[in-house]
Amino acid sequence: MMNNSKDLKVIRTACPAHCGIDCCGILAHVRDNRVIKLEPADFPDEKDRRICLRGLSSLEITYHPDRIKYPMKRIGERGEAKFKRITWDEAYDTIISKFKRISEDYSWKSIAWVLGGPGSGTTKFGAYLRLASLTQSTRVSAWGYGDAGLPCGSRVIFGHHFPYMHLFGEFWQRKWPDLLVIWGSNPAESMPLQTMRKVLDAQENGTQVVVIDPRFTVTASKADEYIGLKPGTDSAFALGLMHVIFQKKMCDLEFVREFTNGSYLVRIDTGKFLRGKDVGSKKENAYIIWHESTDSYKAMRRSNVREACLFGTFKVNEIECKPALQMLKDLTLQYSPKQTSEITGVKEDLIIKLTEKIATTKKVIFYTHMGFTRTFHGDISLRGLISVASITGNVTTSFSSGYMPAVLNWDPFLKAIPEKPSFHRMGILNLYDAVISGDPYPIKAVWFSFINFLNQCANSNKIINEFFPKLDFIIQTELFMTPTARYADLLLPVCSFLEFSDFLPHPYPYLQLQQKVIEPLYESKSDATIVAELAERLEFGEYFKGGEEGLIDLIMDHSSLKGASKETLKNRAVKLQPLPEGANFPLSFRTPSGKIELYAEQLVEDGQALPVYLPPIEAPVSISKNKYKLTLINGHSRFRTHSMFANVQSLLNLNPEPVVDINPIDAQKRNIATDDLVTVFNDRARTTLKARITEGVKPGVLDITEGWWIEQFKEGSLNHLTHDIINPVQDKVYEPNMHMNDVAVEITKSEGEKK
Amino acid sequence: MINNKRLGMVIDQERCIGCEACSISCKIENNTVDYWIKVETQGGTEKDTPRGRFPDLAMDFLPKLCNHCENPPCVDSCPEDALQKRDDGIVIINQEFCSGCQACITACPYNVIVFDENKNLAEKCHFCFHRVDQGLDPFCLICCEGQAIHFGDLNNTNSRVSKLISGKNTFLLKTEEGTNPSVYYSPPRPKKRL
Repeated sequence: MMNNSKDLKVIRTACPAHCGIDCCGILAHVRDNRVIKLEPADFPDEKDRRICLRGLSSLEITYHPDRIKYPMKRIGERGEAKFKRITWDEAYDTIISKFKRISEDYSWKSIAWVLGGPGSGTTKFGAYLRLASLTQSTRVSAWGYGDAGLPCGSRVIFGHHFPYMHLFGEFWQRKWPDLLVIWGSNPAESMPLQTMRKVLDAQENGTQVVVIDPRFTVTASKADEYIGLKPGTDSAFALGLMHVIFQKKMCDLEFVREFTNGSYLVRIDTGKFLRGKDVGSKKENAYIIWHESTDSYKAMRRSNVREACLFGTFKVNEIECKPALQMLKDLTLQYSPKQTSEITGVKEDLIIKLTEKIATTKKVIFYTHMGFTRTFHGDISLRGLISVASITGNVTTSFSSGYMPAVLNWDPFLKAIPEKPSFHRMGILNLYDAVISGDPYPIKAVWFSFINFLNQCANSNKIINEFFPKLDFIIQTELFMTPTARYADLLLPVCSFLEFSDFLPHPYPYLQLQQKVIEPLYESKSDATIVAELAERLEFGEYFKGGEEGLIDLIMDHSSLKGASKETLKNRAVKLQPLPEGANFPLSFRTPSGKIELYAEQLVEDGQALPVYLPPIEAPVSISKNKYKLTLINGHSRFRTHSMFANVQSLLNLNPEPVVDINPIDAQKRNIATDDLVTVFNDRARTTLKARITEGVKPGVLDITEGWWIEQFKEGSLNHLTHDIINPVQDKVYEPNMHMNDVAVEITKSEGEKK
Repeated sequence: MINNKRLGMVIDQERCIGCEACSISCKIENNTVDYWIKVETQGGTEKDTPRGRFPDLAMDFLPKLCNHCENPPCVDSCPEDALQKRDDGIVIINQEFCSGCQACITACPYNVIVFDENKNLAEKCHFCFHRVDQGLDPFCLICCEGQAIHFGDLNNTNSRVSKLISGKNTFLLKTEEGTNPSVYYSPPRPKKRL
């Protein structure tokens, strides 16, 4: 805390908004318990000082006239937003009695904590996990509302939840590649500070940048080459690239042998790996390779894998086998540049040029993020991208410099009492069935925190007409009367980020404190305080001693955070521990084989052992019989972080209302002009908004940026149009994702407004 | 104040991502009614849309603000002498003298002076002189997401801005007006196509 003058305090805090890893450090100027100004705070490295247009505007959230000021209970119908002020005591008494009844009639697991993205916040999220663990209720994971596809793919091929360290960890350490391929991501708007700034830095240092995206985004405008492909055809594009790599013999064979399972023999009859037991070896589970110099099979060992055949067909004890890489090569045969061009809409010569560039460039980094995997088979798209990176040797397998990752003490949150069972975990897309049909068990009460569920989850009509009516009790902690809050039975006012403390282990390589700057406004409380006070009434008070501060101390209690005391963090961001000079820090792969799995045995029965191209489930990619001919996708806007900031006037001044972007070719066919009111529709719903004609979307594609609130549309909303179909493979691997970029629609000039 | 200073800016279009954090930060810092910095899209007919035909497209951003001209027509036009060029080159509007006649708005070839109808006053960018006089950078600079804005003394050959101008192919707006602006733009570098 710095004192500039007698009555002005300047306090360092950090913005935890859901852009998460951008995590801007902020100096708040405070006079008489009122924040009068926010400005970017210093970082140890001056070039990391940062703020964005949303962070700059966030005082308008803290001091917004529409803030929910006190606890309220519903007095009208759900959705009508008619509420009556109550006291916190009455709110807690209501919750306890409802929970008691539901836990007696059903069980504690019928009470679900539906926690959205905490951004870079930790203890506000951890507090709920700890209470869910203590009560053995259900914790609903929010990865599935857009962010589960990437982990599904990454878990299969790398064995890690995130692919980042292997793909672009070095980029985050400012080791600039010769070529940067940004695939299906727009960091200029979604991650401007932690990623896009580095893209610009890399370009200044000579990096060539290619952007692959159905939209000509701001990021694309900075690229040296833009490749506009059809949404949902990414894995076909990846196979097309690999086709050329194989045809021109441009694989990095040494890398494939050492770091992937490409040399392991696969049985043609079963699709499973040939194992020791198949050849009578004592090492029953050993993988088998074909050894080049002895022209015989051998159990794979570190010492012989460098001499393994990667191509060909071999007979081992009458069992026909091929190395996994040959299986991949066979798959790519159907994806010649011509065929790939037909599927993806990218010109043949561009496919060839990009492939040659990737294969002949010394250091290539592939960058992608969550949006890339929001098509029905987005997990396979990621595996396709990683396969391209792997067979060209562009996956990072060790760090020679950089910083040790932060590890937090999550255990006491995930399992509050070690000897007792913890919470039940459920994916957010699985919650639909649990509530509507009691499958796999009934959920009767939901507690929404830092989530605008109705606005941001798929298939709004299903939520309104089938999901909400089945619930006995809906609680929401919120700042505003969001579209979701209108359906709550009990509304609890929470603090804006300036009114409570949390520990933020971001942006890499820093740790920061979101330090409370002012006392909570009105009767609002922080989520952690609400949990602690509720826990007291459930006789779990001892687990929340010290409130927010106690939880921060608890989560920071880990050896990786030594040297970063809470006191230090009050004044500055602290850098993580650097790796020792000259160290070689290997990055493991936690797959069954311990290698990059170009071939995933666990998915043989699903027909997805290889990164096959499966067309999108809805998006019409070819001249199809599909009744709806256009693909609807939803990009991110710099004016919002998901549905946050949609009610901030400074941002509305620059970006006043939702629009649907449409290519002139599609607009002309339908006689649509810019600013026309149009209706976008499919069998699920219709939404009415303004059109914007732009070359910035591929013909056949419509784009509505996500996060606008339902009432900001003339009719319907973006997620009225999206579907909640579960991908069973994702359900099996991790949890199913919502596929907001895989939606078929038609568009027409509006005949008038309907509500 | 050192007499031979000439404060100016270099805005790097290659690093400008069109986010408008400059517009918003300026509006907050100076508590203005209209934006003193407006970001123009050099692209299609609508803001944030590209020029060309899909997929052969291009889009650049050009933040526009007061040019703090060497020969400022606004200063000459003001009947109340409210507009002044400081010794360090910053052109300011002394609001005590402004009568709201808007002659400066007409005279400025860059359309960067705005009018606050409630206060009946003309307003424009003053390089955050309240910060500059304390040795700080203009607020838009420290809030720029792409780190595209550079500020300093154009007369000092060792300053960052001077080095950028001599090292890059910078350009000025409407040189034909003879205003000699102090805001330089560094254009996007040529694309390295595949």
